[in-house]
Amino acid sequence: MSTQQQEPESQESPQDPEMKGTESPQQRRLKEKQEGMVDEHAEDEAEAAGETVHIKVFRYDPEVADKQEPRFDDFHVPFEKGMTVLDAVMYARDEFDSSLTFRHSCRQAVCGSDAFFVNGSQMLGCKTQLSELEQPVRIEPLPHQEVVKDLVVDMDHFYDQMHAVEPYFQDEETPDASDLEEQRQTPENREKIKMSSRCIWCGACMSSCNIAAGDNEYLGPAAINKAYKFAMDDRESEEIKEHRLRILEQEHGVWRCQTQFSCTEVCPKDIPLTEHIQELKREAVKKNLKFW
Amino acid sequence: MSQSYNRGLIEDFGRWKEFSAGMWAWIFHKFTGWMLIGYLFTHIAVLSSAIAAADGQTMMLAGEQVDAYTGTLQGLESLFIVRVLEVGLLAVAVFHILNGVRLLMVDLGVGLTAQDKSFYASLVLTGVITVASVPTFMAGVGL
Amino acid sequence: MAERYSSFTPGGTAWFLQRVTAAFLIVVLAFHFFLLHFVNHASEITFAGTQARMEDVGYFLTMVLFLIAGAFHGVNGVYNALVNQGLSGTPKKVVLAVLVIAAGLLIVQGVWVALVMRGMI
Repeated sequence: MSTQQQEPESQESPQDPEMKGTESPQQRRLKEKQEGMVDEHAEDEAEAAGETVHIKVFRYDPEVADKQEPRFDDFHVPFEKGMTVLDAVMYARDEFDSSLTFRHSCRQAVCGSDAFFVNGSQMLGCKTQLSELEQPVRIEPLPHQEVVKDLVVDMDHFYDQMHAVEPYFQDEETPDASDLEEQRQTPENREKIKMSSRCIWCGACMSSCNIAAGDNEYLGPAAINKAYKFAMDDRESEEIKEHRLRILEQEHGVWRCQTQFSCTEVCPKDIPLTEHIQELKREAVKKNLKFW
Repeated sequence: MSQSYNRGLIEDFGRWKEFSAGMWAWIFHKFTGWMLIGYLFTHIAVLSSAIAAADGQTMMLAGEQVDAYTGTLQGLESLFIVRVLEVGLLAVAVFHILNGVRLLMVDLGVGLTAQDKSFYASLVLTGVITVASVPTFMAGVGL
Repeated sequence: MAERYSSFTPGGTAWFLQRVTAAFLIVVLAFHFFLLHFVNHASEITFAGTQARMEDVGYFLTMVLFLIAGAFHGVNGVYNALVNQGLSGTPKKVVLAVLVIAAGLLIVQGVWVALVMRGMI
């Protein structure tokens, strides 16, 4: 764990930084640090009493001279019952430093935009209670992806891998116009793919995967899970399932999974990713054994 | 995006304290695997002294004239360090076997929720088997 | 990216064989250790004793199969470990060739030694 010591952020100036004319929040914060305005002792006491939470946030911005070299900024956020990691960084942004950048939208673990690396593990900011974390809470962007700014990482590669498995329902046989009703799925089959359909594309699994980090071509847990959802769907024809397996059984497909269970452990939607990947491996082997 | 920052292999090495059971199992399995394949090459090299022995070559061992194969193997076995390495080899092999069984179970989709417990179990069992084997492995060799 | 399809499976067969050899090796490696450390102590091994064991066809064949399975399992494991690290392109092909040659030499040498022990060469 990083023990990097930095002067804590001052909380005595809730004034909107935008109001201070030309002085950027960056410069203001730097100045405060230099002046050493902060009463660290009082903050320690507040933290001990559970009134504030100490968060250390990863900062990087290629366009600001002081942030081109990544560093951690400390914020002491007033704690409220039920407060999440996302709440804390939002408070820090709204009250202390408006330049603090991160993705977020729905705040209820549906949009999948606020996956962070919190205390050494990939978590969804809006789904992680601060009270369950050890302080100071270290908040970083997802590892193994390029950092664009602060907590924002480049997701292009992740989306490329997701799209590579053709993540959409395919059916060659168009039903007769006369029976254009719903395409029904049995409850059992629905149950089978239920967990895999919960993916919110947050990228936590991909970031936690040691193999995806080393082998850039590896499809990764999220994409394979997405393929599982469709490959296991009975409504798709056998040919399409085979087509899907052909994508998955490439060298950089399912075989790269080393069953470390990292993805399964970090998935905020509790998808049994490793189990799904293993099942697809067995499916692929069975399919090939038939040809022998 | 003009520029971005690559944090490199963050998490992979510097954060080993935060690794989970499955990660450790993988690291140990890979490490023991490297050692075992390395040993297999050495093993065949040492056993190749049988070719010399079959040719009738002999060597001196503890004041006796013996064939090259017996002399090489018993000569190595009389070294304390070789015995220690053999205990190490046993530990490595036993772990690789036990964790290998665990991985085969995982491949068959059996007991996926207990994968961390089965890793700890294979570690403990490896320790027990290794310790229990020390007397046999160290029999008849002095420092 | 995963857009290149191939008609045969580059990883699948190797993956499956890795599991099959694993199951075989688990049994035989345990047997091997037990036989040559607990039943016969390693320090008491003699050429005559080895020759006597190798006389048995079943034992001889098991040991040859053990060697082939071990060589494949080990070399394939090493190769996979390197691919997992992102080895690709020409270095990957070179590594594969080197590993195949090394495994081949290991098997040839091992089988030769086994045949000598059996007195067949």
